[in-house]
Amino acid sequence: MTIDAVYLVQLTLNGIALGLLYALIAVGLSLIFGVMEIINFAHGELLMLGAFAMAFALPVMGLLYWPALAAAIIVTMLIGWAIYELLLVRLKPDEFERSILVTLGLSIILIHAMQYFFTATPRLVDTQYGFDGVEIGSIRITWTRVIGAGAAAAAFAGLYLVLRHTQFGRAMRAIAQNRDAALMVGIRPRVVARNAMILAAGLCGLAGAAIAPIQLVTPYMGQFLIFKAFALVIIGGLGNIPGAVAAAVGLGLIESWIGGFFEIAWQEAAVFVIMIVVLFLRPDGLFKRGGMRVG
Amino acid sequence: MKLAAACSTAIIAALALAALPLVTSSNYIIGIGISALIFTVAAAALNLIYGFTGLLSFAQLGFWGIGGYTTALTVMTFGGTFWWGLVWAALLNAVIALIVGYPTLRTNRHAFVIVTLTFALLVTLIARDWVDLTRGPLGIPNLPPPSAFGYSFATTGQFYWVAWAFSVAMLGFLYALCSSRIGRTLIAIKQNEPLVRAQGIAPTPYKLAAFALSAAITGAAGGVYCFHLRVIDPLFLDFYYMQTFLIIVIIGGAGSFWGVVVSGAALSALPEILRFSEDLRMIIYGLILVAAMFVMPSGVAGWLRERQLARMREALR
Repeated sequence: MTIDAVYLVQLTLNGIALGLLYALIAVGLSLIFGVMEIINFAHGELLMLGAFAMAFALPVMGLLYWPALAAAIIVTMLIGWAIYELLLVRLKPDEFERSILVTLGLSIILIHAMQYFFTATPRLVDTQYGFDGVEIGSIRITWTRVIGAGAAAAAFAGLYLVLRHTQFGRAMRAIAQNRDAALMVGIRPRVVARNAMILAAGLCGLAGAAIAPIQLVTPYMGQFLIFKAFALVIIGGLGNIPGAVAAAVGLGLIESWIGGFFEIAWQEAAVFVIMIVVLFLRPDGLFKRGGMRVG
Repeated sequence: MKLAAACSTAIIAALALAALPLVTSSNYIIGIGISALIFTVAAAALNLIYGFTGLLSFAQLGFWGIGGYTTALTVMTFGGTFWWGLVWAALLNAVIALIVGYPTLRTNRHAFVIVTLTFALLVTLIARDWVDLTRGPLGIPNLPPPSAFGYSFATTGQFYWVAWAFSVAMLGFLYALCSSRIGRTLIAIKQNEPLVRAQGIAPTPYKLAAFALSAAITGAAGGVYCFHLRVIDPLFLDFYYMQTFLIIVIIGGAGSFWGVVVSGAALSALPEILRFSEDLRMIIYGLILVAAMFVMPSGVAGWLRERQLARMREALR
């Protein structure tokens, strides 16, 4: 098999775009784990709700991309806030299994409620950009992918600045690093946890809205992505945000390359094999704790 | 004395259940009976790893599917019998559980949950995409009925005996295990692992053994169930099964052997009562799960135990 350079570049660019979207989900999970020490099983459903919000907002806004994106993010943030106030606030930080089962129940409810009201028929989402794309030489990428990747990269830059340079973000890192000490200097865990949940939901909504024009929108779309995001969080080290981003982009690239040259089954198996190997070699994740972590 | 009474109650209940095909000839009711027996075994296996050892394993779904496919392929592709299929299913699952469990148990219980979850998804994807072996989404239809000593368990009523014998054997084994010193060690590991280490017991071999046994039993249960359905396809790995096992364990009371057995029998009938719409039924499952986690996190058995303890405290006053 001769490796065509154009094909390889195309795969690489697609891989980066895919990896950045994985990263948006994994970062939210990592943030929630760092601050609350729970795993949000319903995280994939937040993404699905973001995608549905995008699908419903676009026709209303005359197919304009950016206002619909903003609307989708705001809707998922509100849902994230509601989930926190109704359910997660009742969980204590050491109740890990209980948090999983509660959010699992929530995920079942959300998936089947969406399916009941809006049917399982996949929706095709059209935007003002349609299927137009940029062409560099013989490489072609659709605008929706470029914008999705750009928005994800911008979101990471924003997240970095927020966590590093604002009181809002410093409080999150403080809680994640040492809960008791944070409490002693007057940081309220409840408020910080709520903020983290809303922030994570917003990132997830952005991911869902960005994916909506690229993939088909169905009630089950979140499930496939969330399993990968869980594995990424393990590979990157639980609660380690830069680790999760690096692992996500790496996985996007690897999947895209494998998908281009081997059978599809290997593409799906890659994430699990990588995770098992990483756990064998470095049980705490590929990126040892340290650097800037929220957990 | 109390133990003898409990044992005789269990034996009488088991014999009464064995008579179900004699009482009714409705394949529908007997079919529910078969599901109830097998789901109870799978839930009891989940109870061994989650309720007793304290490790929440989503890999049960993967083991269930691997067991089903192994048994079906043994019969259809490799020309073996149903019974050997069950043996291979149990052995293969135990080996896989050791391979997945060994690196995972070195980390922490958080990682264990996530790795087992990803494993379950991986098995689903392999069942769908490894078309050469599993025939992909088409599945393997027309599984032949098992036979022994020239007697074929062809009808639903006859297959019920197979499911019954399997469940009684597995539940008896699990009961013996859970009430032995090993079972108590597993509970101790769940309650206070540093203390167990301080007593000179290495927890990891116990955890690995519990994981492998629970995988083997779940796999064999999946093997029996797919021959009840007479077909296996990737839908056999629907997350619905995992949810059913989890809800049985949680409502019954994680860590209580009889609580889970009773709730397995009761809750297997629930989907049949809630037959108005699949989506509404799943919404109700989700609501039950969330409500149970807040109202009685240790299940009915845990709730009864707490009440008993409260009464004893009251009597001491």
